[in-house]
Amino acid sequence: MLEMSKTVSWLTLLCVSVTVRGAPAPICPHGHPGCQAISLADLFDRVIQHSSRMHGLSSDLHSEFEQYFIPNKIQIGTRRCHTSNIVTPNGKENATKLAEEELTEVILKLLMAWGEPLAQFHESMTQHADYNIYSSNKALEMSDMVYELRNGVQKVAEKMQLLGIISNLLNGQDFLEGLDAVDSSEIFSVDYPNLLHCFRRDSDKIQSYLKILKCRILPENGC
Amino acid sequence: MGISSGPKPFLTVGVLFILLSPATGFSAPGRPRVISCRSPEKETFTCWWEPGDDGGVIAFIFFLFFSSETIYECPDYKTAGENSCFFSKNDTSLWVNYNISVVASNDMGKSVSEPVEVDVVYIVQPNTPESVMVSVLEDNHGPYLRVDWEKPQSADTRSGWITLVYQLRVKQAKDETWEEYDAGMQKYYKVFSLHSGKEYMVQVRCKPDHGFWSEWTTPVYIQISEVLTNNCSRWAIIMYYKSIQTSRFFWQHFLGYLLLILVSYPQNGKSEEMFNALVIPGFPPTSTYEDLLVEYLEVYDDEKRELVLNEKNLIEGSMKSKSTSSDNDSGRGSCDSRTLLMEKCVDESGTEQELSQYGEASWASSDSEGRDNPASPGLEDGKVQMWPSVFSSPQSHNFQQQHPGGLRASHHSVPEISCVSPHVQTCCGQQDQLEGFQFSKPGLYRYAQMYSMDTIECKHVAQEPQSQSQSQSQSAEYVEVQTVNQENVLLVTPLSNPEGPNPELSDFSGEDYSKVRDVTSDNVLLLQRDLSVSQFVGDYCQDQIGQVDPCFLQQQQQEQTCKLNAHLHHPASTLQEDMRLAENGYVDTTMMMS
Repeated sequence: MLEMSKTVSWLTLLCVSVTVRGAPAPICPHGHPGCQAISLADLFDRVIQHSSRMHGLSSDLHSEFEQYFIPNKIQIGTRRCHTSNIVTPNGKENATKLAEEELTEVILKLLMAWGEPLAQFHESMTQHADYNIYSSNKALEMSDMVYELRNGVQKVAEKMQLLGIISNLLNGQDFLEGLDAVDSSEIFSVDYPNLLHCFRRDSDKIQSYLKILKCRILPENGC
Repeated sequence: MGISSGPKPFLTVGVLFILLSPATGFSAPGRPRVISCRSPEKETFTCWWEPGDDGGVIAFIFFLFFSSETIYECPDYKTAGENSCFFSKNDTSLWVNYNISVVASNDMGKSVSEPVEVDVVYIVQPNTPESVMVSVLEDNHGPYLRVDWEKPQSADTRSGWITLVYQLRVKQAKDETWEEYDAGMQKYYKVFSLHSGKEYMVQVRCKPDHGFWSEWTTPVYIQISEVLTNNCSRWAIIMYYKSIQTSRFFWQHFLGYLLLILVSYPQNGKSEEMFNALVIPGFPPTSTYEDLLVEYLEVYDDEKRELVLNEKNLIEGSMKSKSTSSDNDSGRGSCDSRTLLMEKCVDESGTEQELSQYGEASWASSDSEGRDNPASPGLEDGKVQMWPSVFSSPQSHNFQQQHPGGLRASHHSVPEISCVSPHVQTCCGQQDQLEGFQFSKPGLYRYAQMYSMDTIECKHVAQEPQSQSQSQSQSAEYVEVQTVNQENVLLVTPLSNPEGPNPELSDFSGEDYSKVRDVTSDNVLLLQRDLSVSQFVGDYCQDQIGQVDPCFLQQQQQEQTCKLNAHLHHPASTLQEDMRLAENGYVDTTMMMS
């Protein structure tokens, strides 16, 4: 009897501590009562892990393709990425100078810009018989990850807005739809090494910016 | 790469030399080469070159960016030493390809090196970690090292700009090979399974998430004093003492019986016959103790395993019970490494939910980073002793503290007992198992010694909280396994329990004690009945060790559908990653939390 009540009380304590650890106010879709929100720290950890995985895939694919497509000197000189027109901080000082909203916007812009190209990339990979299946799977996973990461970062942004960490994120939905209109089809259509080179770089940018954002907002968690 | 200073006067001289001596070189200089470029903190970087074979004066270094047609010259030839070019923070841009060449020129001509493409993000090699401190500490199981260090000063991890992971390596000063341990992002590490009286060397290095490993720090030498005695010899003494004690206990018991008989048979002549009759080997405790003695000897002989013994438990545990509980004593004769036991016990699919579901969250909370014995909430000593077959409370504590994942494993295993095995089966004869394993958890090996199955520890320990919900009497020394009831609870009753044996276990009705041999992953409690059977099964299990996880060994042999306990292995997957490098050492439990 006594042991049972002890167990119950302990369980209660555990549950309470778990819930208390999270956000100050639970945010659940559809207002389900009793569902718990993930804390901002956990959200950040997840998106950072996600972006790390995405970058790993892009590095793998990049080195695989570089074996087959050795760029000649002319190509190097004219290499450019379809995301070159997105202004991104290219150093620590520039990145740390940006406000949280701007940093988040840059991340989202990059993620938006890569959704379509990577999907097309995978599509064309599957149509070529000589590309091996493992690379094709990686490309698919990479392409999916861009969408998932975009959703993840949006959730992070919403949470930050809710917690008052950042102000309104540039009209929310309109902002994101505006990004979709980036026309990048012609640049990446065939030049896969270049595309992968560009994406490897951009995925590293995304990861770095996410880490800066996280350590700025939650400095105590492993920074 | 050169730390020498004073290239400027050299260059000046060189330039002057060219101007003043027009006939210096007889040919164009040999083709120079860019050796490497490195960035210590992802904010600046340096490139080094070497001149070509024919010498000549190297006048400029060019580099150009992709996006621009302009050619820039090296901004700083001095800061990083000879034959180097240093790019300061202002000159460094990330995520941009620098195309770098070295041009060697003299009055006879020019020679350009192969261009090197550099993106600073991918050439990061941090400086070494700093302030490496090593201290020798001791706990119940012997000496261990605690290594602490700081990140290199230049790396900015606070803002999240760089993420560093650390690695350390340890070896005895006289040895050739190092033991490497991955410490993740934490800045300390505990190294176990060390020998007293030896001198060890410790080094640390770090790496950014994608980049190069730094150099190793200068080695720290540490001596582990002899005063922290060699456990093996210490336990050898205690083992002998234990065995003497045990036999003394046996004789005391025997004499007690003798006395009883003498009292109940007042005829003097008959007492002698009774005495002789008692000497018949059918006397129950005899075999048990002989087994125990044998096991002791087995353990002691094997020096390699080095089990760590818990000294006080030796004394406590030996007197606890006849049938199974005193088995705790075995295995104390040697030192132990911790990791492997958990390997055997663990499974892939543990979840947090089940942890709380079975009310074992209390165990998770009792995790402590240190190796002190954590309190076991909700358990009293009396109840713990109700489950005497393998553990007493201190031992269970040892098990608890080993690893949070391990705890989870133990929690999952027992509550899912859904089968009762009426078969008398044993698994994996003790001695065979002993040979095969390299145990890594000192507290666990105690159990493994007696039952040679890691699963036993997991399950038995996890049973402890369950004991709260069982109807058990207090502080009985001897326990008889009754059954496993519908709620997957293993019921044990003291011998004095008048309920009598469950018909399912009628096999055991004739016996007072049943020795727990093993608890498999099928949540079957295996009771040892017949040595011959155990031998056969032991051989079977022995063959399987290499291929099949012993936790699943009995699966095929069970005719009933048993819930498969897959949870034990979950922590192992993470554990194994850590243990990959640490073959002989312990895994730092706190690493799992990082």
